[in-house]
Amino acid sequence: MTTVNSTNRQVVVVDERSALSRLEDGMTVAIGGFANSGHPMSLVRELIRRRPKNLTVVGAATSGLEVDILIAAGCVKKVISPYVGGETVAGIGPCFRRAAERGEIDVWEIDEAMYYCALNAAAQCLPFLPWRGLVGTSFAEVNPDLKLFDDPIAGEPLIAVPAVSPDIALLHVSAVDAFGNVQHVGSGFGDRAIARASDYVIVSAERVISNEELRRAPDHTSIPLVHAVVRAPFGAHPFSSVGHYLEDIPFLRDYVAVAEEWRSHGDRTGLDHFLDSYIYAPQDHMDYLDQFSAGRLFGLHEF
Amino acid sequence: MSDFTTKELMACVMARDLEDGLGVPVGANLPVPRAAVLLAHLMHGPNMLVLLSWTRANLLDVPELRPFEFITDWRAAQWAESYWAHDDGFLNMKRRANWIFFVGGIQIDQYGNSNLIGVGSDYKRLKLRGPGGVGTGNMAAFTNRYYLYSQVHNPRVFVPKVDYISALGWGDGPGTRERWHLPGGGPRYCYTPLCVMDFDPDTKRMRLKSVHPGVTVGEVQSATGFELVIPDEVPETPLPTDEELEVLRTRVDPTGALRS
Repeated sequence: MTTVNSTNRQVVVVDERSALSRLEDGMTVAIGGFANSGHPMSLVRELIRRRPKNLTVVGAATSGLEVDILIAAGCVKKVISPYVGGETVAGIGPCFRRAAERGEIDVWEIDEAMYYCALNAAAQCLPFLPWRGLVGTSFAEVNPDLKLFDDPIAGEPLIAVPAVSPDIALLHVSAVDAFGNVQHVGSGFGDRAIARASDYVIVSAERVISNEELRRAPDHTSIPLVHAVVRAPFGAHPFSSVGHYLEDIPFLRDYVAVAEEWRSHGDRTGLDHFLDSYIYAPQDHMDYLDQFSAGRLFGLHEF
Repeated sequence: MSDFTTKELMACVMARDLEDGLGVPVGANLPVPRAAVLLAHLMHGPNMLVLLSWTRANLLDVPELRPFEFITDWRAAQWAESYWAHDDGFLNMKRRANWIFFVGGIQIDQYGNSNLIGVGSDYKRLKLRGPGGVGTGNMAAFTNRYYLYSQVHNPRVFVPKVDYISALGWGDGPGTRERWHLPGGGPRYCYTPLCVMDFDPDTKRMRLKSVHPGVTVGEVQSATGFELVIPDEVPETPLPTDEELEVLRTRVDPTGALRS
């Protein structure tokens, strides 16, 4: 009798370059995390190094400056997100604002509830999901893909939100095993919804752990069996990673300063220098981290 | 403790309108609404559902609630009774009937509609691209009632008609919310550094309710881009009590964010 065992099981740990090798111009790419936390920045940096064009970027329900950086790097045609900004660091993403005001990107205008309708519709193989909350607002006027309709059961006015099905999702998490079982620390924000909706899920993790360690607490597994895993300690830098480190606020402010210079004066010198130094020049994530002192990284608070 | 800042005054008056038992999401980068919610919780709201940094938190015995700069700050997990994944939150609109929320805007109009989408008549070439509606429109639709809040009071924010509605207030007057079958109670008050406003029950137009100490009715009107409903008698906003200020300064705002 021939049987198989764990050694026959597919290990999905790859480096960031292999993980993103399927990226093509014009794809729809979703990015997890929330506001100033949990964005898969080592993957975002590798994505930018591949210099894709005309991406549709599905940001987090509250997108941070990772979407702004993608716009700065010229990768984006359309943004699907209810918010792009950096809270107290930047009320509105500077490059998002510039590109939208000049008509250089399309914004698929939605609010958070519609954002999850679009992802859940994709996950459930539905053409759309209805929502009640945003009737009477301007969303359906400025986003013609949203359709106001009378529901066939009770005759009440609702909005049909079409499915959004990302080709690739990029997430950053606390731990994952070699087979792609994810364990977040904390809530995981909207990462589960992004994973369910997407065709191919790439996860970077602070730690790649053994299957045995993961099985000590299977109830902590938040997303089972993603497609690709990339080891990336400090992979969310300059954003926080729940349970591991807080935001690198000076770094974020430095980005906002050069991005704002482009937005308000059209001067890209500082922004291009930023992109060159922190994204194009480093070969990979370890090369990126080499630019920061251990004191700076480990000083981002671990408890 | 008779000396206090406008922000402290606002936090206290906002807290008094929040009764025990409500669901109260706590934002991070709006220090005054944050302080109002936490003050209400510690003064008179032991059964409030406090939502903080993706947790449902038990804060009642915490001596000092130091503020976080960002909404995702995971150090709040030290007080968590449960986590909530953001997408799960949208599976339960029924419970929002018992929640309140604070809604801001780059524009707010005389019917309490608010706008975070942008300013300018051509949507494809906005003069100011806003950050986006976030979750305000949905909260405005479903919550028990909500509060408009603006850190500035000037005619650029307070306009006759918003360019885009990202959160529906009273629409174009009485009957709008009913026409859309919206379950939530709509905007109750609007808080600014100058005054508190409510809405005329007959016309749903914004009405002056009280002016903060040292502010005149004329100053409020000239800072507002539309004609306010102004009652014959406009009282002064009730002042903070010593007890409120003590809880505020020692437990809710120990770093003095509202005193700067």
